Amino acid sequence: MLAAGYRWRKTGEKLKGDIYLNLWRRPWPLGVGAVALVITNIFMFSYARALGVFPQIAMWGSALYSFLGLPTESPFKPYPVKPPYLDMHSMIDVGIILGALAAAMLASEFKLRKESWQGGLQGLLGGILMGFGTVLMPPCNVGGFWVATMAFSLSGPLAALGLLPGAYIGGRILQWQVQRAVAGIDFSLAPEARPVPARGNSRQPIIGLAVLVTIAGTAGLYLGLGMNKVGVLLLFGTAFGIIVQRSRLCFVAAFRDIFTLRDGTVMKWVLLTLAIGAVGFAILKGQGYQPEHMVFPAGLHNVVGGFIFGIGMTLAGGCGLGILARSGEGYVRSWLAILGGMLSSGAWVHIYGRKVGEGWLYGKPVFLPAYLGWGGALGLVFAFILAFYLLILWVEAGKNAKAQSG
Amino acid sequence: MPKLKAVKTGPSSYQVDMRGWMCPYPKYALEALLCKLPQDSAMALQVDCPAAITDVPAVARALGFTVEPVIQTGDGEWKIVIKNYD
Repeated sequence: MLAAGYRWRKTGEKLKGDIYLNLWRRPWPLGVGAVALVITNIFMFSYARALGVFPQIAMWGSALYSFLGLPTESPFKPYPVKPPYLDMHSMIDVGIILGALAAAMLASEFKLRKESWQGGLQGLLGGILMGFGTVLMPPCNVGGFWVATMAFSLSGPLAALGLLPGAYIGGRILQWQVQRAVAGIDFSLAPEARPVPARGNSRQPIIGLAVLVTIAGTAGLYLGLGMNKVGVLLLFGTAFGIIVQRSRLCFVAAFRDIFTLRDGTVMKWVLLTLAIGAVGFAILKGQGYQPEHMVFPAGLHNVVGGFIFGIGMTLAGGCGLGILARSGEGYVRSWLAILGGMLSSGAWVHIYGRKVGEGWLYGKPVFLPAYLGWGGALGLVFAFILAFYLLILWVEAGKNAKAQSG
Repeated sequence: MPKLKAVKTGPSSYQVDMRGWMCPYPKYALEALLCKLPQDSAMALQVDCPAAITDVPAVARALGFTVEPVIQTGDGEWKIVIKNYD
């Protein structure tokens, strides 16, 4: 009996250490988050569709204009205006927000993070730029670069050519802002003050658990009503939100820090996920499963849209996936970025007169295996990954060279 | 954007409150702050961005500074103490 009691206690301790502390309290290693994200993406694609978040935000914007009395069609054809709670695509985004909220609460990391008026305005402006970027690229950083590349769409690598300089410019603006804020600091003149006090125990983990139970209950309700895809995509979205919140994986940082800090750590993980994802998508698409899925028009608009989106996401403090997850963490700037994205992308049919992919602005979708065969397409995607990796090493070597000469 | 301020919390310890500054601002502010920090001093950076608790120590260590274990001071708030002595 004594031995059984000891084993139960040890099992309990291990459960607390392995499950609660590692999963919910400590940040996940970046690589764990990156690999979890791509595997979840392959699973979701094999179930229904791959990850993409901004066309839904655009649809919400069009729905908002229609609600306010200006009948507006959604800019993305596969995303017609409908109530978000009946739309399986919207449920991914809702799941990301709620998943990040639950994860942040379980770790006692949620906070209503208010903004100065300048920060709020910057979030709104960043969101507006992201909205224009998403209809031009199309769609966003995650769908238009990350998933598109692993889905063998030529538009993916082309979008990276715009995202990289766009994120650099945005990053330089952020650096300039913070340098100005730091410039007046003189430690020798610092007034005496008491340190910020630590606060007591948090009740957030209980609320976080309640959020998770509510999500599961809602998904169960959808399944009970026969709306399986709506319910299951809510769960997939929740998983994405949890992964991004716990690992702090940030696609903005991946692009931005390569040139601003000469640090390609995040992008190297993103490149690994591209390699894993490309193999997964090749297996599925090679067997005829949704070959055209996430294959977007290719042309100069990928680069221009990526550039605009790159500046916007950096100012807003998150790409499409990032602003959703950070909304769940309580960032007011992210809420305003979503609103800005809704307002600009949602009005696209009024501005351009046609939908995304139609008319003079957009090229034709290029599914690489249709032109190069599967060997050629895989070779091109892996060559792109290798070239990007070498670029990062070259840029990082510049930092070391500077340190050596300094 | 609002100006940042430093306060003195002990004989050779200072605090810079960056709560309200979302990532990557704390990481981007770090090098300039640490350049100004007097010799043999410690700076407590107060942050409320979850990514900062991994980013900021990594940048500080890469610049050759010593970083104490990060302390959570409240819901979504942390204190990161960085020293320019061992």
